[in-house]
Amino acid sequence: MSAATTNPVNQVRSTIYQLLSSLFAKEVDHKTLHELTCTQAQEFWSQLANEPDFKADVDVLVAELAKLNSDKALLELAADYCGLFLVGTKHSASPYASLYLNKSSSDKAATKGNEPLLFGQQHQQMTQFLKQSQLQVQSEFPEPADHLAVILAYVAHISMHSSHQEQLLFIRDYLANWLPKLVAKVAKVDTGKFYIALAQLTLAWVESDIEWLASES
Amino acid sequence: MRWLLNIWRTLNKPTQYLTLGSVSVSAFIMGIIFWGGFNTALQATNTEEFCISCHSMESMPYKELQETVHWSNHSGVRATCPDCHVPHDWSRKIGRKIEASHDMWGWLLQTVNTPEKFEDKRLEMASREWKRFDRDNSLACKNCHNYDSMKWDSMSKLAQKQMKRAAKLDQSCVDCHKGIAHKLPDMGTARAPELIAEVGSGVNGLEVDQTYFSALTKPVYFNEKTDVEAGTLNIATKVKVLALKGNRAKIGISGWRKKIGAGRVIYYDFGLNILSAQLTKDAALEEGVISTFEEKEDPMTGLKWQRVETVIWTDTDYLLNDLQPLWDYARSTYSTSCSVCHTQPDESHFDANTWPGMFQGMIAFVNMDQDTQALVQKYLQEHSSTFNKSAH
Amino acid sequence: MKRRDFLKGLVGTSYVVLSGSSVLAPLNALAASAAKTNEGWLTTGSHFGAFKMKRKNGVIDQVIPFERDKYPTDMINGVKGLVYNPSRVRYPMVRLDFLLKGHKSDTTQRGDFRFVRVTWDKALSLFKDSLDEVQTKYGPSGLHAGQTGWRATGQLHSSTSHMQRAVGMHGNFVKKVGDYSTGAGQTILPYILGSTEVYAQGTSWPLILEHSKTIILWSNDPYKNLQVGWNAETHESYAYLAQLKEKVAKGEIRVISIDPVVTKTQQYLGCEQLYVNPQTDVALMLGIAHEMVAKNLHYTQFIEGYSLGFDKFLPYLQGETDGVEKTPEWAAEITGVSAEIIRDLAKVMTKGRTQMLMGWCIQRQQHGEQPYWMAAVLATMTGQIGLPGGGISYGHHYSSIGVPSSGAAAPGAFPRNLDEDQKPLFDNNDFKGTSSTIPVARWIDAILEPGKTIDSNGSKVTFPDIKMMVFSGNNPWNHHQDRNRMKQAFQKLECVVTIDMNWTATCRFSDIVLPACTTFERNDIDVYGSYANRGVLAMQKMVEPLFDSLSDFEIFTRFARLMGKEKEYTRGMTERDWLNKLYTDCKNANAGKFEMPEFDEFWKEGYVHFGEGKPWTRHAAFREDPEINPLGTPSGLIEIYSRKIAQYQYDDCPGHPTWMEKSERSHGGPGSDKFPVWMQSCHPDKRLHSQMCESEEFRGTYTVKDREPVYLNPEDAKARGINAGDVVRVFNGRGQLLAGAVVSDNFPKGVIRIHEGAWYGPVGEDGSKEGGAEIGALCSYGDPNTLTQDIGTSKLAQACSAYTCLVEFEKYKGKVPAVSSFSGPVEITL
Repeated sequence: MSAATTNPVNQVRSTIYQLLSSLFAKEVDHKTLHELTCTQAQEFWSQLANEPDFKADVDVLVAELAKLNSDKALLELAADYCGLFLVGTKHSASPYASLYLNKSSSDKAATKGNEPLLFGQQHQQMTQFLKQSQLQVQSEFPEPADHLAVILAYVAHISMHSSHQEQLLFIRDYLANWLPKLVAKVAKVDTGKFYIALAQLTLAWVESDIEWLASES
Repeated sequence: MRWLLNIWRTLNKPTQYLTLGSVSVSAFIMGIIFWGGFNTALQATNTEEFCISCHSMESMPYKELQETVHWSNHSGVRATCPDCHVPHDWSRKIGRKIEASHDMWGWLLQTVNTPEKFEDKRLEMASREWKRFDRDNSLACKNCHNYDSMKWDSMSKLAQKQMKRAAKLDQSCVDCHKGIAHKLPDMGTARAPELIAEVGSGVNGLEVDQTYFSALTKPVYFNEKTDVEAGTLNIATKVKVLALKGNRAKIGISGWRKKIGAGRVIYYDFGLNILSAQLTKDAALEEGVISTFEEKEDPMTGLKWQRVETVIWTDTDYLLNDLQPLWDYARSTYSTSCSVCHTQPDESHFDANTWPGMFQGMIAFVNMDQDTQALVQKYLQEHSSTFNKSAH
Repeated sequence: MKRRDFLKGLVGTSYVVLSGSSVLAPLNALAASAAKTNEGWLTTGSHFGAFKMKRKNGVIDQVIPFERDKYPTDMINGVKGLVYNPSRVRYPMVRLDFLLKGHKSDTTQRGDFRFVRVTWDKALSLFKDSLDEVQTKYGPSGLHAGQTGWRATGQLHSSTSHMQRAVGMHGNFVKKVGDYSTGAGQTILPYILGSTEVYAQGTSWPLILEHSKTIILWSNDPYKNLQVGWNAETHESYAYLAQLKEKVAKGEIRVISIDPVVTKTQQYLGCEQLYVNPQTDVALMLGIAHEMVAKNLHYTQFIEGYSLGFDKFLPYLQGETDGVEKTPEWAAEITGVSAEIIRDLAKVMTKGRTQMLMGWCIQRQQHGEQPYWMAAVLATMTGQIGLPGGGISYGHHYSSIGVPSSGAAAPGAFPRNLDEDQKPLFDNNDFKGTSSTIPVARWIDAILEPGKTIDSNGSKVTFPDIKMMVFSGNNPWNHHQDRNRMKQAFQKLECVVTIDMNWTATCRFSDIVLPACTTFERNDIDVYGSYANRGVLAMQKMVEPLFDSLSDFEIFTRFARLMGKEKEYTRGMTERDWLNKLYTDCKNANAGKFEMPEFDEFWKEGYVHFGEGKPWTRHAAFREDPEINPLGTPSGLIEIYSRKIAQYQYDDCPGHPTWMEKSERSHGGPGSDKFPVWMQSCHPDKRLHSQMCESEEFRGTYTVKDREPVYLNPEDAKARGINAGDVVRVFNGRGQLLAGAVVSDNFPKGVIRIHEGAWYGPVGEDGSKEGGAEIGALCSYGDPNTLTQDIGTSKLAQACSAYTCLVEFEKYKGKVPAVSSFSGPVEITL
């Protein structure tokens, strides 16, 4: 485990998970936009685009970021974010694992119908994981622990602190098992391009990371 | 020292020959003499320790006081027993102390030596204290709390209004502020205590030929002596005092009645179901009680109405000079109580005869005693669209 | 490994991405252990029942009924689903185009869900700016903040009280009178019986069980409707229904359910049903009255002593005024009830003690005043008003009415109104000649036709020109009629603000949406037992407000702060101070009569019990002495003929009860050639109106193909090729919806039922999101008010007429769209 901490590749992986987490956690504002478009960031994006599986989505992201040159453009993107991740309708792609892993309500007609859909089993599991790592969800982020941004941030953390084997198991069992469904839903309902590209990039990255971790461990 | 000898003699007589008063006086005087010197004694008896050394208060009022702002507050000023319960003026102080030695009997006879007994007597004891506060216009309070030095701006609008009104009349503080240093006694049997606290219990010294308004729904009687009730005078009803005898006033009530049944219900005006008084059947038929005048048919119901003057007796209490305080109380009660479930309709949304139906149908969740209910209903009727044509 | 080359490229770059903004933080051990404490049972209450709750790891885990609720409903199982709901309003949000263009936004976009998240500060200042703009430009007639909904449990946090006090501190606004449940009844009955009756305590069940020989349930389903209550319900009525069931079985009491459908109550009691054609109850009652007179069965002494105007009604009954004698044969033709049965009913009702228990549905139709009036006339003719177990009640299906009241004083509430001497910021009371109060169900009319003058309950109402609406804890996109007409109206509004906990359709059609926490995320107190007023319940906060939601108290305290009126608003008191005050005031009011412990002890215990009440008979005092205890009618007597109503000269509400044909009526009535089926949209069995519909898993216990059930007669279904479980399209000239077929013999031919409170979920033709805001859009879930008619009952009450509604239905053959009313499990169909 301690070997993993000092590994510069793990540091980079952690950074990428952290970046993705941040983009799913909240809307792009002026500050974030600056951080995503500064010279260093451009270098980062072009490095990422070197990977063929990522190139198309990274290109879209970079192009979309370049268009965010007015308050209105930022607001339109914020509205895309809101429609996907905040309003919670059938036409959104709610970012909670529980909504993709629980059986649909019609399958449960026989039960008494008192299993909640949020803050349920997945939230409890994630809370336990965080606790074991001496972590918790920020109070300014009042979301269940099975929010995509929390899970990605947690992977960013374990990338630095856990063995490759442990990382692989966690990603496979708690992220990769529902991420494709979320990404498909984003692709279906997003009215813009940014979040489709971000979601697809996330999926591609997680898949490639799984492959890499599998080969490493 | 002859007087002292006399007292000794008196005290040596068996107590059964003594009146309670003389024993009290003597006991008090003996007490202070044994304490050693009169003025010193008076000083000494004016401390809390002295009070609680005899007044068995450790368990009840003293502990209650310790829970209140009069005991502990950020200014560090504490009111102790004598500050409130002993007058600061010398002669009244002596009088009060003699009064207090009555309590020795209570102690001897174990009148209030258990919490239960204390609770039973609480209202009686509190009433005595309130009466005393009333008598000297809450002087004990005013030694610290002065109307003139009150900072109005720091009060809420409502408090300002009430305090200013009280200040103008130099009202006794305990009229409103009861139960602030000790637990409020159970006043379960007292009628509409909040209403009465607000409007007072009536004018002292009614005058013949003046008009007044009832502050409660009051019993009426056949004459100045009898306890046989002749019906009730409804709250907030205008009456004219025709004669006064002792605690009774002969009053005149003008109004209209429906010519159905015995015609014993007196209404405010023709065709308006605003209740002024209800008489018993006997009273309605009694010679000289109801004088009748012209008749008219109410086109809204087809019923015949008749103008009447009623002359009847009632107690002199709970008669007010002015109707406005009753309406003020009713408006604020209506606004608070009737908005618990829903937005209350404007007073002028319905007419005088529709309000009883609307009001009675909506009071299931409202905390109002009978008097307050009757008052609010009358307030709504007299401020309805029948009288206020401007709104809707 | 080759595929990881790009990583190596990144190693050593100094780029640190958004390092400061992780959603994770080091574990705060102190906070974690604090959350662990108090994991015992907590007490709270809901309209569905008082209950107790236990948490696990900070999340609500177990919910069990309150120990004093002996007949709990399964709806409390839906509570967790309400709190942890994917449809929660999580953050303050503003519709994008409104954020960009304010009051000049494109309002046709309302409903398309294009919102952005904003901070509370931003949202509240936008709210205040809008109010400023409306008050400045239009004055108080431009603002309607009086369209209020059902109660939320809790005397302190009532959503309407907080909203109206705070908005009232800003300025005056248009208000409503009446409500959607009992609009016609509560308007007509004061003229007839001198009280609104519908919300009044009724004759106690023990007396009914002891004295009644016959009980008539007229369009009344108490077994279904008593599940929910105005306060924290404890369901005591069910003990009496159980006794009634026994008495029915033993033949001691005859119960007749007069209703087109077999009700849940009828099934439970095992009692008789008398089928009547929908909307024809007045004709049936007239037929019964005619027979009573013909056979001299009516109690003339009572009629003479206690009522007015029977002589003016009689000529109508006997056909002298309109040439139509209201004989049982005449009634049979209209009602589908045979003349013989009508004659028998007249006999049954007059021979023994008969208690009429009226439901509310029959006054939620065109001329809804008439059945209530005529029923009162029938009860008067039996001469049994004011006798135990006789006469008439309009409320025994509601909130424990009929359970003897404890007689204790209930706790007061946080003030809805401004304190005396407080003045609003915009102290303007000029409604520009328009009305400041309008009948509750006519607000859409007002928005569409400002300046129009209508008759209403004896006066004229001129519609104000409404530009802005504020809703709090209220879902008019459930309870109002005709969604497509509402869409037209909403396009005319400049600004709509909604405060709610979950994304109701009303939120969807708003510009500013503010998240309130649920009743279970704050401390409060309430009565338990509703009308029985059995005790005071501590509503103990179960979890902290989820997401960025706040309590109503906190939301409007912040709003008042913006106006510089925070202290005026709260009176300088915190939530705890208020609870203590409300409780202590109640304790003082009950002093000497009902012992109550000090607040802290009460809070620890969870409740204080007042004990049983004394049985009581409605109208008994009137019967005993009508002179001293007159009714609140103009004459003080029962008014069979009302001169007051007659002088209004309304064609749709004359001076005595009258049978009038409806604008739409099934079974041969007008419009039935085109849309032959009557749709009843009664109160739901598994919700309180629209409350609880969003509780995802619980909803799954009754939906059909994820849709609201539509109950169909087997023959009707067969004729249209529909089987149980099919998706059905129900439609008429006003709208269309999808619902899931339940085929049942309980429903007669030509009658379908869809419970109101089904969340509106419009979708475009192809099921796409874009179409939802459009007029004519298909409702994907099954909200019956997509189809109902938005007309007043009459010029008298101007109340809602949801029950005058004809439809047609068919098996849905198109591609079935996903239900768009809620969030919930995400099903991917790729």
